[in-house]
Amino acid sequence: MSSETNTTTTPEPQLLATSRGNALLNVIGPFLALAVVYFFFGITDATQEDGGTFLTPRNNRAVAIPTATVAVAAMGMTLIIIAGGIDLSAGTALALCATVLAWCLKEGASPTLAILAAVGTGCLTGLINGVLISALRVVPFIVTLGTMTIFLGVAKIIAKETTVRPDRTTQIPEWLRGFLSLREQYLFPGKWFVPWSGEVGADASWFRRTAIWVAESLRLPVGVWLVIVLAILLALVLRYTVFGRYVFALGSNESTARLCGINVAWNKIAIYTLSGFFVGIAGIYQFSRLSVGNPTSGIGLELRIIAAVVIGGGSLSGGRGTVVGTLTGAAIMAVIASGCTQLGLSNPVQDIILGVIIVVAVTIDQIRQRRLAA
Amino acid sequence: MPDPLLRMTGVSKRFGATHALRDVALEVNAGEVLALIGENGAGKSTLMKVLSGAVPPDSGSMQISGQPYAPRSPHSARLAGVAMIYQELNLAPDLSVEDNIMLGQETGRWGILRRDLQRQRVRDVLDQLGHPELQPDTLVNRLSVGAQQLVEIARALVMEARIIVFDEPTSSLARHDVERLFGVIARLKETGIGIVYISHFLDEVREICDHYTVLRDGCAVGSGSLEKVSESEIVALMVGRTVDELFPSVPHTPGDVVLSLSRLSGSAVPTDVTLDLRRGEILGVAGLVGAGRTELLRCIFGLDPVKTGTVKVGQFAPRRRPSRMIAAGLGLVSEDRKGEGLAQSRSIADNMTYSRLQPYRTVGFLHLRRRRQAVSQWMRKLKIKAQSQEQSVENLSGGNQQKVAIARVLHQDADVLLLDEPTRGIDVGTKAEIYRLMGESAAAGKAILFVSSYLTELLAVCDRVAVMSRGRVCEVRPSDKWTEETAMAVAVAGESI
Amino acid sequence: MWKQFAIFLALSLAVGCGGGSDTDNSNGNGDASGNASGGGKKYRIAVIPKGTSHEFWKSVHAGAENAARELGNVEILWKGPLQENDREGQISVVQDFITKQVDGICLAPLDSQALVDYVVEAGEADIPVVIFDSGLDGDKKNYVSYVATDNYNGGALAARRLAEVLGKQGDVIMLRYNPGSESTENRERGFLETLEKEFPDINVLSSDEYAGTTPESSLDKATQLLQKHREKVDGIFAVCEPNATGVLGALRDLEMAGKVKFVAFDPNQPLIEGMSGGSVDGIVLQDPVKMGYEAVMALMAQQQGKDVEKRINTGEYVATPQNMDETEMSKLLKPKQFED
Repeated sequence: MSSETNTTTTPEPQLLATSRGNALLNVIGPFLALAVVYFFFGITDATQEDGGTFLTPRNNRAVAIPTATVAVAAMGMTLIIIAGGIDLSAGTALALCATVLAWCLKEGASPTLAILAAVGTGCLTGLINGVLISALRVVPFIVTLGTMTIFLGVAKIIAKETTVRPDRTTQIPEWLRGFLSLREQYLFPGKWFVPWSGEVGADASWFRRTAIWVAESLRLPVGVWLVIVLAILLALVLRYTVFGRYVFALGSNESTARLCGINVAWNKIAIYTLSGFFVGIAGIYQFSRLSVGNPTSGIGLELRIIAAVVIGGGSLSGGRGTVVGTLTGAAIMAVIASGCTQLGLSNPVQDIILGVIIVVAVTIDQIRQRRLAA
Repeated sequence: MPDPLLRMTGVSKRFGATHALRDVALEVNAGEVLALIGENGAGKSTLMKVLSGAVPPDSGSMQISGQPYAPRSPHSARLAGVAMIYQELNLAPDLSVEDNIMLGQETGRWGILRRDLQRQRVRDVLDQLGHPELQPDTLVNRLSVGAQQLVEIARALVMEARIIVFDEPTSSLARHDVERLFGVIARLKETGIGIVYISHFLDEVREICDHYTVLRDGCAVGSGSLEKVSESEIVALMVGRTVDELFPSVPHTPGDVVLSLSRLSGSAVPTDVTLDLRRGEILGVAGLVGAGRTELLRCIFGLDPVKTGTVKVGQFAPRRRPSRMIAAGLGLVSEDRKGEGLAQSRSIADNMTYSRLQPYRTVGFLHLRRRRQAVSQWMRKLKIKAQSQEQSVENLSGGNQQKVAIARVLHQDADVLLLDEPTRGIDVGTKAEIYRLMGESAAAGKAILFVSSYLTELLAVCDRVAVMSRGRVCEVRPSDKWTEETAMAVAVAGESI
Repeated sequence: MWKQFAIFLALSLAVGCGGGSDTDNSNGNGDASGNASGGGKKYRIAVIPKGTSHEFWKSVHAGAENAARELGNVEILWKGPLQENDREGQISVVQDFITKQVDGICLAPLDSQALVDYVVEAGEADIPVVIFDSGLDGDKKNYVSYVATDNYNGGALAARRLAEVLGKQGDVIMLRYNPGSESTENRERGFLETLEKEFPDINVLSSDEYAGTTPESSLDKATQLLQKHREKVDGIFAVCEPNATGVLGALRDLEMAGKVKFVAFDPNQPLIEGMSGGSVDGIVLQDPVKMGYEAVMALMAQQQGKDVEKRINTGEYVATPQNMDETEMSKLLKPKQFED
């Protein structure tokens, strides 16, 4: 790692086909986009007559929550997309996990058991996808298109074609209801975390206000913190484990991976199963937010999950993607949704903005690839 | 006498009715480079597939250092110390140099990578290859083809390969990359690794190989030391033909100017190119990889954007779009058969007629019978070997694929043929057929712009040769006023001498 | 305080220069007393429907705007989830309005349980909530009032109308809407229980099939059901508008229109035309305009400290081919819709 070797052995020009650079942009690109969207809505809102609420800590928290649900599932999807696959069943599998959780609670199972069942269901859905893809040698798009409706059907059977409603107060544990709640008693850390709390008037210094703003924004429900922990773990796995290398190798060039003795089938199964684990966790998130298990509430969610990965710089042709990018992608979508509501923009406008962002993100990815190919 | 590093004896393999290999024997000693020579379809690749475990032989045996060797898969061959460096490189483009070299051989404990150990191993191997300047963190897709090849060789070393097979390693390399590769091969020899080197370039073979084995129709028809054999003897073994037959000449005379380029510049290359091409003329374009030859053809054909300058076909300057250019009578054969030139999964008939379907079309419906007749005529004329015209192109040999690509522009009845490396990766016999076709087309009044990296063929086939360097046309001379040395000197120097 | 800070943050980060305007134009940080004291203040009321594409909700919107115009100092913020049935989307909309510190929320909950916690959250932020159209579980203290059609009675009206045209005997089918929708489940219950109690000679052939949320899915399901019971069926009840549209299409496809008596719930243009043409024998009507109006009115009454009834009924009616041209009925058949 000595800088000495770097300076003495600069690569001869013929070795590099393209110039250095871009690497930094790849990493900060999604952040830049998030910042642009955030401040666009923030400024527009602040300058409105009844505005000023968008850039508040309360809104930062409110945006973090839908981000968290999508982000958890999207982390699994990131793995799959890096490995050159796709999972269209993620949405309905997620709802299946939430339904299983709701059903277990309604049947009087202990919360621990119910959560294990939900996560187990998630892993199982991933395992099924992985085994089918490896054993049948059918492209993931088709396999998961099939399992998408299969999981929906299974969830409907469990729910007896209705919504599973465990009793809110007696059957759903307190912590699970507060897992993603914005209510004061569920925030962590507590009010003590905020310096100078309580006595901030119009004359307070900007420094104090900024400190309070940051501290208040960091008081988040447990579920959001869990996402951050999971994200760090997954990023470490991708970066520092042999498995992580194989994920990238598979997506970058599957035949090379096979030639190098990597067990492609097993690794794919592992990738989809791990992704299923994240889907299971995401099921818990959805249940915590809805407090009911509804088989149909995952329909269409897979596209938002995939969009988060793509906006975050993941490449649908495989080999590229980052966990941080995916989190950012999920956040961008949540910011747009929240911003549109608060600016009073109608649903059609929101749909269009989201679509434009996705197209722009994919186009940037394309340009990047073309530049590399040149 | 000690056992050779690799010995194959009596290897036979049948695919259906065809004998791909018949009783082939071959030996490679440690620290020796064996040239495996033969036309396409002679059985070289099947033999190497047997060696690398991709295909089991019907009979015969193999030994490595006297130990029996019978690989069940490419991976088990690798474990036994046999590595293949394929023409299409087998790398994961989004991974770094280090990750590619260590792929499948990661050093780690409990699944956690030991990056420091890996880094050391990678540096050792790159040192061994004589290229410590290759940075382990660089992404492979940012490397040139030559450097990517180094990564693959390094990977073979990490797997402690004792025998390395190079399959046409120089076909897509520029000259300085070739030099570097030869340096690496020399180092590998010193470390006692046995090398099998497959190539069409006999001069190359002479430069780095010690022994040769020639395959023809699945049989080993000759082998021995390269010092004791002449080039024409080898060629005779390969094709059963004399050298004179290699470049068949068809008399043709240049006529009016049909394509004229005036100060043509693309986005990077070409730069300021002015050229005239006449009917009945074959104009060669020589130069190093990256000199802008391919881009020149693409600019002319409207595939790459043109910054300044004009392209005139006859008297007119058509709009620069492939469809308009085809209508104006231009036809392009791409250098990239797999990626661009041919729709690999479609049939011969489809590929041949894509650029001109009008004669078989009635209100949008295809008249398939009429097309079938036309296609089979062309297949006969170009001697395209295939089971039927409905066979998909991906199953054809390289030479036959190239013939289909050329048949397309001929079928299109283009007046100006833009041929980009039409003989790359093709065996000697097919090359001769393609040269004859070019001569015949010129005699029929067509104009040909012929881009090639193989100077010998340019000088033998063309009327005039233009040498390009860094995007510019440095000099145009009649072929007999060039020698390979002077042309190369201009290509490297970038100015006429 | 946060508005100033937001402007400061926006300016300093976007333009790169520190400092912001010091003029205090704060208009409330959830401080309810500040709201009450501000005379001549404009009230911002968020109205959150279940979806935004059905005609029904456009009429609710029109009603809410009517109330706003009448009161003069109210601004309606209209926003629903992106997709019908998107519970999570609706939750996010509620939370965003809490963040925005609106002065009140009128909510048509997509799920009677899932929205409870978020209505509580609004309460904690001193934002009163009126529930409309569909009910909400949990403590009734969480919201100001529940403004809705008596759906049970609507179902009963449908049963009586169908019995009337059938001559109090025959075989009927009831096509359900979607699992977990409180309003339609009440209609279904009202219909079935009334038939059982008041018309013992009417036999229910099928009452456990769900038609789904779209006219297309309803058409498929209705076609299957009618095909299956083709020989026996005398009457059919469709519990909501998309459902009825599908049933009408199925009746026409199978050439059973007019022969099988048909009662729908909620009108739309094809159904009204069907009634003039004799394929539809009755449409149970709600008053969505009144619903939107009453919801906003209830909220404002509470704001001004008046007592508000916990349950406000907006009425239900039956349109028949005979009375459909009366002014009262035609107003309900073609309720006013909100237009930008």
